[in-house]
Amino acid sequence: MFLARFLARRLAQGALIVFLVSALIFTLLRVVPGDPVRLMAGGMAPEALIEEIASDMGLRDPIYIQFGRYIGGILQGDLGQSFVRPANGAAVGGASFDDSTRSERAEVWTLIAETAPMTLQLAVLAMAFALLIALPIGIWGGLRPGGWPDRFALYISSVFVSLPNFWLGIVLALLLSVKLKLVPAIGYEGFAYTILPAFVLAIEIAPFIIRTLTVSVAGVMSQSFIDIAAVRGLTRNQIIFRHALKNSSVPLLNLLGVQFSMLLGGVLVIEFIFDYPGLGLLTINAVMQRDFPLIQGIAIVTAAAFVLINIIVDLAATTIDPRLEY
Amino acid sequence: MSLDMVQTKTLLSVRNLTVTLTGEGRDVLKDVSFDLAPRQILSVIGESGSGKTVLARALASWLSEPLAVTGGEILIEGRDLLKDPAYARTLAGREIAYVGGNPAGALDPTMTVGAQLVEKLRAVRPEISAADAREKAIRLLEAVKIPAAERRFHEYPFQYSGGMMQRAMIVDALMSDPALLIADNITQPLDVTVAAQILKLMRELNEDFSTAVLFICSSLPVACDAADEVMVLHDGRVVERQAPDALIDTPQHGYTHKLIEELPTLWAEGRDQAQPQDRDRRAIMSVRGVAKHYETRSASGKALVQAVRNVEFDVFPGDNFGIVGESGCGKSSLMRLLTGLERPDAGSIFFEDENVGEASPKRLRALRRKFQLVLQDPYGSLPPQSAIGAILEEPLKIHAIGNRAERRDRARAAMSEVGLPTDLYDSLPTGLSAGQRQRLNVARAMVLEPRLLIMDETLSALDQTEQGKLLNLFERLQAQHGFTYIFISHDLTMVRQVCSRIAVMYLGETVEVAPNERLFFDPGHPYSRALLSAAPTLEERRYRPEDCLMEGEPPSPIDLPPGCAFAGRCPQAFDRCLTENPRLRSRGGQALAACHLNDPGES
Repeated sequence: MFLARFLARRLAQGALIVFLVSALIFTLLRVVPGDPVRLMAGGMAPEALIEEIASDMGLRDPIYIQFGRYIGGILQGDLGQSFVRPANGAAVGGASFDDSTRSERAEVWTLIAETAPMTLQLAVLAMAFALLIALPIGIWGGLRPGGWPDRFALYISSVFVSLPNFWLGIVLALLLSVKLKLVPAIGYEGFAYTILPAFVLAIEIAPFIIRTLTVSVAGVMSQSFIDIAAVRGLTRNQIIFRHALKNSSVPLLNLLGVQFSMLLGGVLVIEFIFDYPGLGLLTINAVMQRDFPLIQGIAIVTAAAFVLINIIVDLAATTIDPRLEY
Repeated sequence: MSLDMVQTKTLLSVRNLTVTLTGEGRDVLKDVSFDLAPRQILSVIGESGSGKTVLARALASWLSEPLAVTGGEILIEGRDLLKDPAYARTLAGREIAYVGGNPAGALDPTMTVGAQLVEKLRAVRPEISAADAREKAIRLLEAVKIPAAERRFHEYPFQYSGGMMQRAMIVDALMSDPALLIADNITQPLDVTVAAQILKLMRELNEDFSTAVLFICSSLPVACDAADEVMVLHDGRVVERQAPDALIDTPQHGYTHKLIEELPTLWAEGRDQAQPQDRDRRAIMSVRGVAKHYETRSASGKALVQAVRNVEFDVFPGDNFGIVGESGCGKSSLMRLLTGLERPDAGSIFFEDENVGEASPKRLRALRRKFQLVLQDPYGSLPPQSAIGAILEEPLKIHAIGNRAERRDRARAAMSEVGLPTDLYDSLPTGLSAGQRQRLNVARAMVLEPRLLIMDETLSALDQTEQGKLLNLFERLQAQHGFTYIFISHDLTMVRQVCSRIAVMYLGETVEVAPNERLFFDPGHPYSRALLSAAPTLEERRYRPEDCLMEGEPPSPIDLPPGCAFAGRCPQAFDRCLTENPRLRSRGGQALAACHLNDPGES
């Protein structure tokens, strides 16, 4: 009962958020300078042709009509077609304004569906690496507040946080791939290509997890139910693993939700450096090509992912701590 | 396996126990020695700082830095816990159980109470199966009279009230059939009626489960009520140990003597608090049919908490008006209404013929000059970063009174009036004791020369001696400035000492409004009688708890019963009480009560 009401409320809120995001993105893209038709058709195309294409595509209609049309499409699962990318995946060319393949421009939905799993794979692996690094350090630091594990956690977080990711990415690629030939780095031809970018991302996220964990574990450990548990006869392992960690996992969960959303939204720099064919790379290219439908599509899909992840996180948090239901 | 208690004369014997505060090198417990026989209940009493909690913790092997045992022995079955920490660990939670004074935070909030009871038993006695442990937990929850134990077993700690949680913690302690139960201030956070139930329960459990109890508390009447013998701890030493009656009749030590002498009484004769009331005088504050509800989200959607309902009373100039009731009865919500912090949903609150509930914010600020509030928490109610002088001058600045020098003079005058040294003018409140902080709070309230002071549990954070001093101060200020006081309190003894007229609240309603003498000698509402019967006192009781109060807890303010809210716990309830809520009615001599029993047609 609670679950149904919760889901109904949150999904409705989520739909509203996604709608607002798309409206905002749609308007902004049409207000910024730069005519996508000029880019598509090429600098040499005659003005009349450009106007013709633009009217054909409905780009000269008032914004709210364009938006209405667009939303109508989304409701039917249609995110529109890319302005620039052809369906056959060939490289985009600006000069061929009389290119006969224009009618077969790629579906935005297909483009996203092809790249999103790549980003998901990267995000999950990055998260796994980050947790692997951060959990032991963070928990240990939280169990000994003020002691050297706590200081160690602080120092290592400071080091991680001050490494610029592009620098770390380049250095690691040089060391591990070029010199030692342990893992491949550039492009994507198999799972091994995910490891290096994921590790760089993990180093970037880990300090936040470490910090959150030390603070929340230390906070829970100083509460009276932990203090009194030993007097009640519970063993230290029971106290730490069944009570302390469970109670400190709610703040961690919230943080992980935010971090994971950010990873899914496309990690522009890292995907660009490693030429990793994920949403990030797709976004960069779409922006550079003024590919409005693609940018909009990515924005909407990411917003929807944000909303869903948040719902899942809140649901998980309520399962762990039932007080949050009220 | 339970320790064989039949063959041993003493279960616990403490020999020359000394506990030191290592940082300062000060001894908190000095040379403490005593024996506890199986099945015996021994009370340990002493003021705050006498070392009683340290003793409880030492026995539970729960001392932590900077406290350390520096001498003596704690023998259980002849084995010294201090020399054999491994043995102490096997006893913890199994043979030696501990219940503390803060039941609210004692269990993991994210696990059901039942799961934690089972977890605890299986931690100390792994040979017991989960199903058996569960069965035992439910049986014990029933034994401590938790209603619907089977269902409660699956609820989370936050779904329990304070009193129920304390019962659950007693179950937690008894799960392993311990030989010794250390009860450290277990009734302190509870309301008197609930505390009385817990005490009764503890005695029954002591008989049924043959557990010895070390009952630590700071109230002499409670200690005497609870125990076979009372041990008095003063400044870390055991100064005396006697059976309760003997202790009261023939205290051996000067400290015990003083403790008994200073104890305020409820029914002592020869008190002349009630001032002659002149009926023609106009009320300074007049409350009529006030109600306030709050919205909360609950499992089944929105719910209304009816915090205050049908509250009616008049406060006359020069009165010491008391408002008493247990926690959750709406005292604090009422305080917020009286001071205009919130507006009532119904009814009116007149302060000198002006309706506080409807006054404009600007008018309200002007009115506040004439009525001021002093809060309960001496620490949270003062800004820690402001100097004492600045704190006192702030109200004057807000109301644009006087120039700089004048404000300074008034602040200093107020300080000396409440007994704060004026050279503290420039210092921060950080170093002040709780009592001094409350003096400062009083000074801040009276610097505006109000006519009415509302004291919300102002004294409840202070110990008995400090309370007495502040009460004297209030009396003196009243004589000098003609203040009228409203004391909001849960402490009947305090109210008995100071107040001329008293309103009793139950579940948001005023169920009785009566002059002091009348309330204590001829209460008009069964709930007032129940409160009196449960009040801790050494005097011969006028009302016996077993006649006045039935088992159970107040109903939730979310689903109130249709009739009288007290009917469920009232031994004298009859049909009409279940359907019709009685209104306040005069019983003559300025006493009002809301009870059908007072109807001429009913009795």
